[in-house]
Amino acid sequence: MWQRRAFLKAAGVGFAASLLPRQAVALERSELVFASSVQTATGGYGAVLLGERGDLIASIDLPDRGHDITISPQAGRGVVFARQPGTFAVVFDPAGREAPVTLTSVEGRHFFGHGVFSPDGSLLYATESDFEAAQGVIGVYDVTNGYRRISEFLTHGTGPHEMLLMPDGITFVVANGGIETHPDFGRAELNLETMDPSVVFIDRRDGRLIGQLRLDAGLHQLSIRHMAVDARGRVWFGCQYKGTPTDSPQLVGYATMDGEISLVELPPGTLADLRNYVGSVAVSADGKTVAVSSPEGDLLVAIDAEGKRPVLVETLRNGCGLAADGIGFVATSGEGAMIGIAGAEREVQKFDFLFDNHMLRV
Amino acid sequence: MRKLLALLLMVLAQPAWAQSPTPGTVLDAAVNQVIRPAMAEFKRSASGLESAMGGLCVLPSVDTLAVAHRQFEQAALAYGGIEFIRIGPLMEENRVDRLLFFPDRKGIGLRQVQAILAEKDATASSVTSLREKSVAAQGFGALEFVLYGTGAEELSTVEGQFRCRYGQAIAANVSSIADELAMGWYRYDGVAAHLTRPDPSYADYRTPIEALEQIVGLVSHGIEGTRDARIKPFIANGDAAAKPKQALFWRSGLTMAMIEANVEGMRRLIEVSGIAREVEEKDKALDNSIAFEFSNAQRAIDLVTLPVEQAVADEKQAHALDYLVLVTGSLQNQIGEQLSAALGLSVGFSSLDGD
Repeated sequence: MWQRRAFLKAAGVGFAASLLPRQAVALERSELVFASSVQTATGGYGAVLLGERGDLIASIDLPDRGHDITISPQAGRGVVFARQPGTFAVVFDPAGREAPVTLTSVEGRHFFGHGVFSPDGSLLYATESDFEAAQGVIGVYDVTNGYRRISEFLTHGTGPHEMLLMPDGITFVVANGGIETHPDFGRAELNLETMDPSVVFIDRRDGRLIGQLRLDAGLHQLSIRHMAVDARGRVWFGCQYKGTPTDSPQLVGYATMDGEISLVELPPGTLADLRNYVGSVAVSADGKTVAVSSPEGDLLVAIDAEGKRPVLVETLRNGCGLAADGIGFVATSGEGAMIGIAGAEREVQKFDFLFDNHMLRV
Repeated sequence: MRKLLALLLMVLAQPAWAQSPTPGTVLDAAVNQVIRPAMAEFKRSASGLESAMGGLCVLPSVDTLAVAHRQFEQAALAYGGIEFIRIGPLMEENRVDRLLFFPDRKGIGLRQVQAILAEKDATASSVTSLREKSVAAQGFGALEFVLYGTGAEELSTVEGQFRCRYGQAIAANVSSIADELAMGWYRYDGVAAHLTRPDPSYADYRTPIEALEQIVGLVSHGIEGTRDARIKPFIANGDAAAKPKQALFWRSGLTMAMIEANVEGMRRLIEVSGIAREVEEKDKALDNSIAFEFSNAQRAIDLVTLPVEQAVADEKQAHALDYLVLVTGSLQNQIGEQLSAALGLSVGFSSLDGD
């Protein structure tokens, strides 16, 4: 977790000084800082930093729609990845001292909207598609050398989506969604009959595959896409079902580095309201509660990680973004709303921009 | 208090007409005047295709082959008019891929069909066992190769007996799926009832707003699919040369007719449902704008008269295809964003598939 003091330290003294007075006040008032990609009121795209109270601290413009954001205090940089199958990632200086820099995916690859920094901030990793081979890869970028792409690792699956760095700092967990796409055909899904989703653990030092976990074969159309790590190091994941819509498979589960993978049983009514679509997963600050969202079902569900049962169900129209608040979670919507759930005490706010699928607590 | 505020926020986000009876009229028209008749038409033409293939196999000749070609065209284009309606029965049991596995980037279908023909695989000539095979070997794509691909001329003679029986099994499969689609849309308490009479107890459509979002979303995503999967893959793009053999149905010469069927199906849904007329006064021009853009798309399609392989090499017709990409992009924006906003709907800024 990167709270305000660490944020300021990483951003450097120039940050507050470079902000507009109103934004500087917003930052001063904020114990927490949140980041999200957005669509602006004029239809353009960007990313915003928001203070604890939802005050706009800073924003950058993007050439097209962004998706997830990762920030490294050590590197003093954040990166917004293009929504799949995007070909850009924008590196920005949270302090606003330097102009954003746009990275372009190399030939034959596109981004999938997610990535992480190494713990020391010297390397950036991004989930990408080797689309001719229909093979997922992790692109490795040297932060200290102008974000030069220096290597890539296989994700051992198709359509990798979110990737996280495990608490040990050396293991990646990657959700291979299993869906093949190709830029020649836009977002058309090319292999629904033969999908093969999996969760993989990969050594970030050399790309070695540590383990690969799959759900039952009958669930091969359950695309595993988003994840968060709980206090016990279990990787909670949320899925999107691509099979017959009237099926109603469980959508939320967890995987461990010991090789366990399991779906949790949500009650039928809650499951039905998720509409076979989980758009985001987050874990609370204490690591004991998991939240999942469904913008398709306008639903937010908080799950007790120990008891593996829902403790709260809340509606939020087009709600998707989730991040740990001090207590509970902040949730955002594709209609510009921001609320608190599961104990987070915050006023309902409405912004003049629309939030993308993910909210990052920085 | 906060829940009340959240509720208020949701209510404020609804369009004024959320409280009016108009959505029901739009939904009724969409289902009863467009979707159901289109499903019935597909069922009728698919049945005709099955009969024509039966006739060809019993009495192979140039004439019966020509009849089979005509019925293939009718059935394929009838499907072109409904393939964007990706809800309800079409989305069950892999029916989309079983009817038409496309794009087939790796040529899986072609290889499988060629192997079936070369080996005279008897399990492909029975509809029951054909259904157990890959989706790429049992739909329109496979049947197009059977009817128009290398060696198809043997269908007019007894030499083509196996090829014909395989085609007959494919046609029977298509016809059977068409029956299932029609039955699904006419079933009591099925998707039609849920879409026209949404209810909080339904898993699919709980409110009229959700049902309307679905209608708008079908067209918005359908237009995107036609542009990205049916037009852009085969036209030249910058330094990249045109790839006419990436076009759907290039063998039968139905590429543009299929695109036309796609666009016309979507135009009809917007026009007949009247959804774009149910906006506030300030947005009333949108209906005309959408109609105008659909007519521009039709004009561009009409300009492409040559087989795609020649059309992409013809300056005027290649330009028309480029223009069609622009027009379909504009339609997607008008319907997916402008119309959605005018109706107070959200066609998923954060709920697009795969993110």
